[in-house]
Amino acid sequence: MNQDKGEKYKDAYVVDGKLALPYQYFAGTVGSKFLIALRDKREILGVRCDTCGKVYVPPRQVCEKDFEDLGDKWVMLGNTGVVTNFTIVHKDDKHRPRKAPYILAMIKLDGADTAIPHVLEMVQPENVEIGMEVKAVFSSEPTNTILDIDHFEPVL
Amino acid sequence: MAANKKNRNVAIIGIGQTQYSSHREDVNQPEMINEAVKLALQDANLTKDDIDCFMHGNMELFEMVHQPDLWHVLGTGAYGCSEFRLTTGGTTGITLVCAADNLVASGMYDIVLAVGFEKLQEGHTTGGITNMADPLWGRMLQTGALTGTCAADVINEFGEDRARRAAMKHRIIMDQHASRNPNSHRSFGLEMDQLEDLMENSPRLVGDLRLIHMCSQSDGACALIFACEKKAKELSDKPVWIRDHVTTHREETLWMYPLDLSQKEEPTHRKAPRELFERNGIDKPVEYFDVFEMYDPSSWWGMDWIREFFLLEGDEHIRMVENEDIRIEGKMPICPSGGVVSANPIGATAMVRVAEAALQIRGDAGGHQVPGDVNHALASGFGGTLWTILVMLEKELDWE
Amino acid sequence: MAEYFGTTVEDIFRTQDSRFRPEGAEGVDVVVAYNISGAGGGRWKLTVKDGASKTEKLKDDDFGGFTAKMSADAETFVGVAVGQLDGAAMFTSGKLKGEGDMSVLMKLPMMFTKYMPPKKGITAADILATAVERFRPDMAGDLDITVGYKLSGEGGGEWTAVIKDGKCALEEGLRDGLTVTNIASASDYVDLMLGKLDPLVAIGAGRLQLKGDMETAQKLPKLFSKFIPPEASSGPELIVLKKTISVDMKYSTGRMMGKFLKGLKEKKILANKCPECGRRQVPPREICAACVCRAEEFVEVGPEGVITMIEYVYYASPDPLTGETRETPYGVAIILLDGCEGNETMWHLLKSDELDSFKRGDRIRPVWAEERTGNLFDIKYFEKVR
Repeated sequence: MNQDKGEKYKDAYVVDGKLALPYQYFAGTVGSKFLIALRDKREILGVRCDTCGKVYVPPRQVCEKDFEDLGDKWVMLGNTGVVTNFTIVHKDDKHRPRKAPYILAMIKLDGADTAIPHVLEMVQPENVEIGMEVKAVFSSEPTNTILDIDHFEPVL
Repeated sequence: MAANKKNRNVAIIGIGQTQYSSHREDVNQPEMINEAVKLALQDANLTKDDIDCFMHGNMELFEMVHQPDLWHVLGTGAYGCSEFRLTTGGTTGITLVCAADNLVASGMYDIVLAVGFEKLQEGHTTGGITNMADPLWGRMLQTGALTGTCAADVINEFGEDRARRAAMKHRIIMDQHASRNPNSHRSFGLEMDQLEDLMENSPRLVGDLRLIHMCSQSDGACALIFACEKKAKELSDKPVWIRDHVTTHREETLWMYPLDLSQKEEPTHRKAPRELFERNGIDKPVEYFDVFEMYDPSSWWGMDWIREFFLLEGDEHIRMVENEDIRIEGKMPICPSGGVVSANPIGATAMVRVAEAALQIRGDAGGHQVPGDVNHALASGFGGTLWTILVMLEKELDWE
Repeated sequence: MAEYFGTTVEDIFRTQDSRFRPEGAEGVDVVVAYNISGAGGGRWKLTVKDGASKTEKLKDDDFGGFTAKMSADAETFVGVAVGQLDGAAMFTSGKLKGEGDMSVLMKLPMMFTKYMPPKKGITAADILATAVERFRPDMAGDLDITVGYKLSGEGGGEWTAVIKDGKCALEEGLRDGLTVTNIASASDYVDLMLGKLDPLVAIGAGRLQLKGDMETAQKLPKLFSKFIPPEASSGPELIVLKKTISVDMKYSTGRMMGKFLKGLKEKKILANKCPECGRRQVPPREICAACVCRAEEFVEVGPEGVITMIEYVYYASPDPLTGETRETPYGVAIILLDGCEGNETMWHLLKSDELDSFKRGDRIRPVWAEERTGNLFDIKYFEKVR
């Protein structure tokens, strides 16, 4: 606020507030199958579009390009993949999965055409490289979310 | 006002609706949208590559997903295309219709697909709506979309017994309409002999607004395809023409209510039809229109607003309900679909009014088709702090 | 006994106390009356107090006072209890009726785990036979243990699960020197595995006894994936995540609302006045929307006024500031303060213990909070002027 506005705006101030609402999320048939395979079998599933040949993970009911129904075109992917990009999260926020600093990487699993974002651990930020081979480490407690993969770490 | 100032005529050439229900755990949001989009494309005999622009709409804060239009490209088919998101509260679905009409009429796009949806089970509707109020004052006071004001006004004007009976009769007729619409979320099988029991025993929500009066919270999606006159005539043998539409807003006035009721301001659901009918030269709307799909958020509003939307006076609207003129086979069929009290996926709801009115004109409404020719249809949308949108649909391109 | 959806009203009430969740009933002190009509119906009374529940069947209509009452026909009641009918729809259509404090009925699902009808034909042997395929080597690691099952009564028997080298094998009979032994009736064991009986409740009630190495016993549930009965596995499991989003916000008052809120601290209600049409706005807004001009002049109004409209709220909605459900009923009033005219009204709460006595046109006055910080609740509520 600049100086001349000071007097005019002397009554304006800021109130701390909150916006809190309960909600739920339905993963749907396709999403549930993916999450259940992660949780119960520690398998990562994708779907393949026969028209464009792309393998999507997380799986989806419909190919966004061809509008093909992919609901039963399951393929099993490897638990390993490569880092296609990464960043280092420096700022803490209560909604984030780890305390800063941590590495958030885009990981293309073996057999997939799309990359998923996930936490990369067991490596120092300065040692992360694009193309680095990594593997999924599964969570010991089920969460029914993508965090049933606890994190990825380098294949040694 | 710009009646008949369209650059070119616009028609609805494709209609797709999911079944409306209380829960859709089997699909996530883009998957549910995709069901409606595919049905609309199929209805128009088009593929997604024929669409020049996509539009997407739902309520804010209802599913707690930020930028759903991006995520939902999976379902809309907008990959690599023009896409707009609109969110205008309860009117979202019909704002999509108005905007699509404008986009095509302007010449910008020849074919536009608009989809409105909601998965109300995923969020908290009343909580979400309450967040529209001023965080420093109204948010702690507002009661979501629930209000007993309308009931209090009708009771004040027509007496407790007559008012309550008329509202409940409206509700039961809507339930019976819904039983003839396979897409409807709720149909309880209500009979007229339950009227007094429901008046006494249905749980109260706010004031005289009872649970049975209020609209449902539904999951579902609706998609419409709009085309310019040239394309519509090429592609469709039953195009439904959009003659005109009007949107009437007012400042946020949830807490404005005078002691002397003669000082009440003209509501937007009176002002909107007054302007629309005046500029289209319609003197007797009850006679002109063959069907009206009203956005009736509760049976109190549904019953009360008949007077405003048709510019009636006195108790004419109550008599229409008492005489059952609003039935599908009645003199002025209102909400053959069962209305919003029977299915309310909010971001789709107001579009469903237009979709259902268009199905009536096409003669494709199936079990809830109004008998005889349907040439002129009216659809309304309602939202937020009591604003109103009306859309007029025609079977023939013959108005001037 | 009349059966609906494969079970009876009697069964639901008989298992009710074993399905009680004390953590869902903190501070709850209620009596719920159930009047279930039709074949297999009857009257039951539920008392929840001090973190315990008691369900009794009554012989007559005398509930002896209740906080809330639920009435339904037997088929509707069972259908809702087992999830075959939509409770909200039944409630709306009047097939399920409530009386008294409805918020109690809404909280019931938090206080009890869902009733699961008995899956006919499933035996303890059936469940144990699936143990090998439900075994999770990843959770077992290098555990080398033997787990005994000593199940009494109909369908009972004795079994040993041998876990070693990341493999699980099942044998009939009990081995010597078991690491852990589970002792229960076969029917309780089936209920436990179907989620009908809470393990902690069963242990507490002595219906499940665990003998041997307790540390290993605690690990057991994690060593096997959940048993899914064949009937239930006909439909796929669908994942639903339940969350409350909570985002910290900062709201700017702006100078008009800021001045208004500061006024409340001094027990003053300020309106601003439009220089063109002269109307007052409470709370003030910088612009008169009708005239589209700035409205900067403040006038003090009230503090007394007249009720022009009352909203009695019976439906419990979440407080958007916390996500917690608000207490009902409460009354919101639209108020024409002295010095205002026509539509120049504002809104606030009415004193809750006098809710029934207010009516349109009543004169009311604000009750000020002792400590005022410049917010809505600097006025606690409005009360009648006597």
